[in-house]
Amino acid sequence: MKEKISKKALREAGSSYLLLSPTLFVLLLFIIGPILFAVYLAFHKVELLGITSFEFVGFSNFEKILEDTRAKIALWNTVKYVIIVVPCQTLLALVLAATLNAGLKGEKFFRIVYFLPTLTSSAVLTLIFMWMYNQNGLINNVLKLFGFPTYNWLGDPDVALNAIMIMNIWSTAPFFMVIYLAALQDIPDSLYEAAELDGANTLQKFWYVTVPYLKPVTSFVVIMGLIGTFQLFDQSYIFSKGSGGPNNSTLTVVLLIYQYAFKNLGTMGYAAALAFALAIIILVATLLQRKFSKEESLY
Amino acid sequence: MSPKKWLATIGVTSVFFGSLLAGCGGENAEKKDGEGKQGEKVEVTLAGWGGNPTEQKLLQQTLDDFEAKHPNIDVKLEVISEQAQYMDVIKTRLIGGEGPDVFYLDAFEAPALIETGVLEPLDEYVTDDFDIDDFEKPLLDAFKGKDGKIYGFPKDYSTLALLYNKKMFKEAGVEVPKTWDELREVAKKLTKGTEVYGLGVNPELARLYHIAESKGGKVVTNNKASFADPKVVEALQPIVDMHLKDKSAAQPNEVGAGWGGEMFGQGKAAMVIEGNWAIPFLQDTFPNLEYGTAEVPTIDGKKATMAYTVAYVMNKDSNKKEAAWKLISYLTGKEGMKTWTSKGYALPTRKSVAAELGYDKDELRAPLVAGASYATVWQQGTNLPIIVNNFNNQFVSAFLGERPLAKALEEAQETANKEIESK
Repeated sequence: MKEKISKKALREAGSSYLLLSPTLFVLLLFIIGPILFAVYLAFHKVELLGITSFEFVGFSNFEKILEDTRAKIALWNTVKYVIIVVPCQTLLALVLAATLNAGLKGEKFFRIVYFLPTLTSSAVLTLIFMWMYNQNGLINNVLKLFGFPTYNWLGDPDVALNAIMIMNIWSTAPFFMVIYLAALQDIPDSLYEAAELDGANTLQKFWYVTVPYLKPVTSFVVIMGLIGTFQLFDQSYIFSKGSGGPNNSTLTVVLLIYQYAFKNLGTMGYAAALAFALAIIILVATLLQRKFSKEESLY
Repeated sequence: MSPKKWLATIGVTSVFFGSLLAGCGGENAEKKDGEGKQGEKVEVTLAGWGGNPTEQKLLQQTLDDFEAKHPNIDVKLEVISEQAQYMDVIKTRLIGGEGPDVFYLDAFEAPALIETGVLEPLDEYVTDDFDIDDFEKPLLDAFKGKDGKIYGFPKDYSTLALLYNKKMFKEAGVEVPKTWDELREVAKKLTKGTEVYGLGVNPELARLYHIAESKGGKVVTNNKASFADPKVVEALQPIVDMHLKDKSAAQPNEVGAGWGGEMFGQGKAAMVIEGNWAIPFLQDTFPNLEYGTAEVPTIDGKKATMAYTVAYVMNKDSNKKEAAWKLISYLTGKEGMKTWTSKGYALPTRKSVAAELGYDKDELRAPLVAGASYATVWQQGTNLPIIVNNFNNQFVSAFLGERPLAKALEEAQETANKEIESK
């Protein structure tokens, strides 16, 4: 009797795995395999071109990070970027969603217009922005029109990273706006009615009903934002033509990893170590975020 | 950004998976085809970066001529979009064993790639007919390995020359400068506020190397950065001063131009120092511009300029080496090179071809050709890419006046050498 059950269970498990196999195969080949291989690479000095060699070096790739000036600059740039972009895009997304949910006319139209930047490929977006950021481009002309000072957005190390920040906040916020919008529609009207009876005005309703109710969603948005911004690459790559310049001002961690992995010869192992370190940094940041905003629904 | 990336990952993965399956099918079919008509045609892949349309047409014409002569060889041209990403793609493909049989290699990247041993030495293939002595020696030497073997034959080159706007020079009533001191004075007179700058500068080592070494200092010593040398700083200081003190020089992005040629064409710089590539560009984009060329001004009475060259090299793992060599020897041979350089998009590296095409007498190109005899070839050991990246990054900050030049270069040198040591 026992044997029969186990046989049946075995057959069932077998057929489930058979059905799962395409997905498992893809997962193993393209996600789990590369992750394990990257960890392996991080502990080796790797020469891939010509005579392929893997020399075990223990933690020396990680020790190198501590002495690498460019790694420090890259990390600082990335952290600066995260600290500014994540709160800005979250706030902007919330405000956009709230205005779209207020029941104004032409809501659907604006929803589409707001969402458009997210649909555009980031490479194309960057190129378009580079035109606008040009010394004689749209943005400087508008600034001049209103009597503000103009900037050399692409060439000045002090503003180049800010230029990327502005662009990214603008293009990423709408995506999170959609998430907020979905969550906003879940808030029961009775809560607002109750608040109104208590004499709350619009702002108070927003602050004391909407924002707390959205807390779990905010937590999600911030975590996704953190992960996304720490991985900033394409925009700064295109901005600086791959160099991270001017004066290392747009050098991000992922761009540095790319440079070590594909531009320099024989530093693939070090690049993997950097990638590993970045993964840990993102993990820590995410855990910290979760600790600060305990993920429990209030209702 | 990230959720989008997840989606992209899934998308790419499924596409990959699909193409994997499709790829298998395709290959089988091809094999069967190949078996059908045994040993009839050999397909050689040739990879390079894209030029402008006219250049592409010229290359296609050269390849067509080659195919007409060798009916059993098919050349498959693979254009890798941008020069900036070209080496990343080539290296990755070589690692994956999918490298092209023949490909372009910039002299700048050559030492490092030769050292890895992925290139086929070409000495054994060379016949007397090929006439190796016909090449300009410094350009050929750029593709010699430490073992003295030749790993590539230069297909063309360009030096730098001074381009000047004739109209602006007439208006300002100045002569074409012969020395850098003269150039500095002239630039001041040509400058009109922030509308027109006297000189357009590319604050990059590739363009400043000959200036950096003009006072006797060395940019690279023993394969390590040494550009913080006071003599190098002294040599580069005038460029920074022209930007900050005289305000007579600017980099292209300060006036909204993409590069020196564009800045010059738009009339935002009265002079730029550019190469042969600027001439067809100006002809196409700014046909009404009246300009002349002159040799790069001298420093302390010494002539100096840069030379940039690109070679055809062969993949060591290629299994069609005979055909690949036939292609290389045609493209860098007298006939192929003549077709390729006939329109003046690039200068021929063979003396005989240069003499035949007469670029030394061409009004615009003569200064470029003259520079070849004293030019420094843009190449300096295996670590130059690291050194350049660090130099460029920090030199800009000095050029923009954020830090004194000596300090910026010192920091850049330190960072570069750390990176080299930890390799």
